[in-house]
Order: sequence, then C-alpha cells, then structure tokens
Amino acid sequence: MLKKGDLILFGVIIIIIASAFLISNLSHNNSAGKTAEIIHNGKVLRTFDLNSITKSEDITIDDKYHNIIRVEQGRIRFLESTCPDQICVKTGWLTSNGDIAVCLPNQAIIKITGKADNVDIVA
Amino acid sequence: MINGDLMKKTSVFCVVLLFCIFLVSCSTPPNFEKQYFAMGTVITQNIYGTDPQKAADEVFSKIQQLESVLTINKAGSQIDTLNSNAGNGKWIPLDKEIIYILETAQKYAALSNGAFDPTVGPLVKAWGIFTDHPRIPPQTEIKRLLKLVNYKDLLLDVPNLSARLTKKGQIVDLGGIAKGYAGDVAKDIYIKDGIKSAFINLGGNVVALGSKPDGSPWKVGIQNPRQPDGKYLGIVPIRNQTVVTSGDYERYFERNGVRYHHIIDPKTGAPSKSGLISTSIITDVSINADALSTATFVLGLEKAMALVESLPGVEAIFITSDKKIYTTKGLQGVFTFTDTSGEFTYVEKR
Repeated sequence: MLKKGDLILFGVIIIIIASAFLISNLSHNNSAGKTAEIIHNGKVLRTFDLNSITKSEDITIDDKYHNIIRVEQGRIRFLESTCPDQICVKTGWLTSNGDIAVCLPNQAIIKITGKADNVDIVA
Repeated sequence: MINGDLMKKTSVFCVVLLFCIFLVSCSTPPNFEKQYFAMGTVITQNIYGTDPQKAADEVFSKIQQLESVLTINKAGSQIDTLNSNAGNGKWIPLDKEIIYILETAQKYAALSNGAFDPTVGPLVKAWGIFTDHPRIPPQTEIKRLLKLVNYKDLLLDVPNLSARLTKKGQIVDLGGIAKGYAGDVAKDIYIKDGIKSAFINLGGNVVALGSKPDGSPWKVGIQNPRQPDGKYLGIVPIRNQTVVTSGDYERYFERNGVRYHHIIDPKTGAPSKSGLISTSIITDVSINADALSTATFVLGLEKAMALVESLPGVEAIFITSDKKIYTTKGLQGVFTFTDTSGEFTYVEKR
C-alpha cells in the first residue's frame, strides 16, 4: 500500500508547510519592517518603511487646519499644527509598532502599523 | 490494482495536504484594522474573520446613523427636536433605540444621585468645551443654567416611544453615553456577521467580542492620564467585556495655568473637582460602563467605590489627582500595574 517513499514524501511536505507557516508567523510578529502610514480623511496618503529612510522629510496636510508631519529614520511625528488643541503635536515621536497619533480636528492620523508589544488596546 | 493503489495514495496525499492548508489558514486568521472619525472621536475597529470589511462597513454606517439622530450640533436631529421643543408640552416621537438610551441615562442618573445627568446640556454648551472656542462662563450664568439641569424633568413615554422636557431651555446631551451604546451595537453586528473575535475602540470606550483568536484574553492598557495617547500604566485582561475610561485629559483647555476639562459636575456647573483624574469601568454592557465612568468621575473616590461595589458584575479603576491608583476588590490580582516611572502608586489594599 503506502511505500516507504510515499511516507518520506508526506513527511517532506508536512515539514515544508510547517516551516513556511512558522516563517510567515515569525515575520508577522517581528518588527523587521517598521511601516508608517499617513492617513487623511480615511485615505492612506503615504506609506514609509521607517527603517530604510536616510534623510528626514516633511509632509504637509492642508484641510481645515495645516499639519506638518516629519518622518525620520525609525520615527514619525506631528511637528506642527494649526489646530486649537495641539494634541497631535503633544503626542510626540512614534517609534514602536502600534503607536498612533491623531489630529482629530483635521481628520489626520499617523501610525506605525502592527501591534504593540504588551497590550492589544488602550482605554 | 495499480489504479486502486494510486487512488489510495492520491486520497491520502489529498487528506494530508488539506489538513496542512487547514492548519495554516486556521492559525493565522486575517486581521483587519482601520481607524474612522465619528462621534467627535477616532474609532478603531479590529476584526479577525473571513469578511471583516463587510462587518466594519456595516458598523461604521450604523455609527454614522446614530450620530445623525443623537447629535445636538445639527438642527433637526431627533435629540435636537426634543431639545428645541423643551417646555412646550409637546411629546416628541423618537426611535426605539433612542428611548432605550434615554431610559438607561435616567437609570444611571438616579443611581448616581445626579452625578451623571443627561440634561447637563445647557452647561456643556455654555463652556463650549467641544468647540474651537471654549470659555469660562460667569457665575451668574452658571447659576441660571443650573436650574435647567435635572434628569427628572426628562419625561419618557416608553410604550408610545416619545419623550419631552418640561422646562424651556433644557438640553439633553447624550455625549456621556452615546459612544457606549454605539459600542454595544457594533458588538451585536459582529456577532450577527458570524465574527468570533473583534474589538472596537471609540476614543477610550473599548468593547471586545470574545477573546483573541488564540483564545487568550484581550489585554487592555489603562491610559496614563498624564502621558500622550497610548501610554498606559496598567493592564486589565478581558473577554467579551467592555472597558470605558473617562479622564480629565481627554478634552480640556487651559486658562492661566488652570485645566478646564470636559466632565461637568451637574451640581456645581463647572468641570468636576472630585479629586479623580481618571476612572475606568469594566463590565458587560458598554452603555452602562459609559454612564458609570462619568458618574464615578464626578462622585469622587469614596462614593464611586461604594457605588461600583454595590453593582454586581462591575469593576473599576480610579486614579486620583495625587497619582494614586485604586481598584475594586474584583480586580485585585487581575489588574497588573506596569508604571515604572515612580510617578503613580498602586494602592492595592485600602
């Protein structure tokens, strides 16, 4: 019925799939890639691989208010804003997966995608 | 014979392959995460499931619909109609779910002896806290407006789905409870769409469905009230529950070094000075948690603790202005204090 060769074949297939699964899972959780997104009115304006940035760049959003967002190697922040509460600027630099800063009055969001290390949500 | 052997081999091979595909697809369910702006805050939906986009869209349109009927910032909304007819004796027909929200608001107003009051609207308006031009109203104005604040003047005719306010100038403001209700509705939609694992965060109102896909509880960080958004000072694990935080840091303005936050004490007509700077409520129903987080914030530590401990299935975390953290008995050993800065102290046993 099942020959030794078949068993080996199945074994090899299982090992290949298991390792593929492990690798994809690891790369999911790993912060090897640190991707930042700038979102305005629900649309992603720009995406950055923060680790591969070599010189800093400023991105502006002009809507009800004026936001200046600075992107540097490994980090991103709201640098300036004309909004009244300044909560976005006060949030400071985002450096880790899952970090987010919001300018509510201007409907602008910057975030580093992925999940924070120890918590799923902050309330 | 040769054919039969081949068939068997092929079928065994297929079973093994299917099993492997099943393993891979099951252990990494797709994770959908998106932010939205509505109800004056940023809303995050995080859904694990096969068609998360559909559920997320459905939830967002429902939230927008709720906002359009509950808002006091748009003439002609159902709540605006209730308010603009205040004092004229007319019963205003309202959606069934609005009657439910008003009923719940009234229940917690009574339970907290008016520390949470849905008729606080005239004062919220006078302080302009949710506008770009907040102000400190003169004492005479506050005194006059305080006479309009009384949840008992909100009359409900539940069987006929209508309501009215008895005094002219009275304003129902559901800002302290609407997000909680929206969170409950979102959870119902996830369940209806067959999702087993999801959470929604409406600006500090977290509602979780089930547990994480791996079966472990969701870990909810409790916001550090003196640090930027997302920095937490402790962790509470939850399954299928809600965590709602009210804090003086969420909305405020400063004049001459004084912080004027958005939680108005219905008794003084000014931002609450109860000694609490943050309260988090953990329970099963988010509308209840939302009302209770505001109520306890206004009540202050002693009364708040007594109220919450009297309610079955409700737990709480209170942070005082002298940076001490207190929890209900049910959270002892469950809440993990993580602040290492030394700024805050966890008072586990009182």
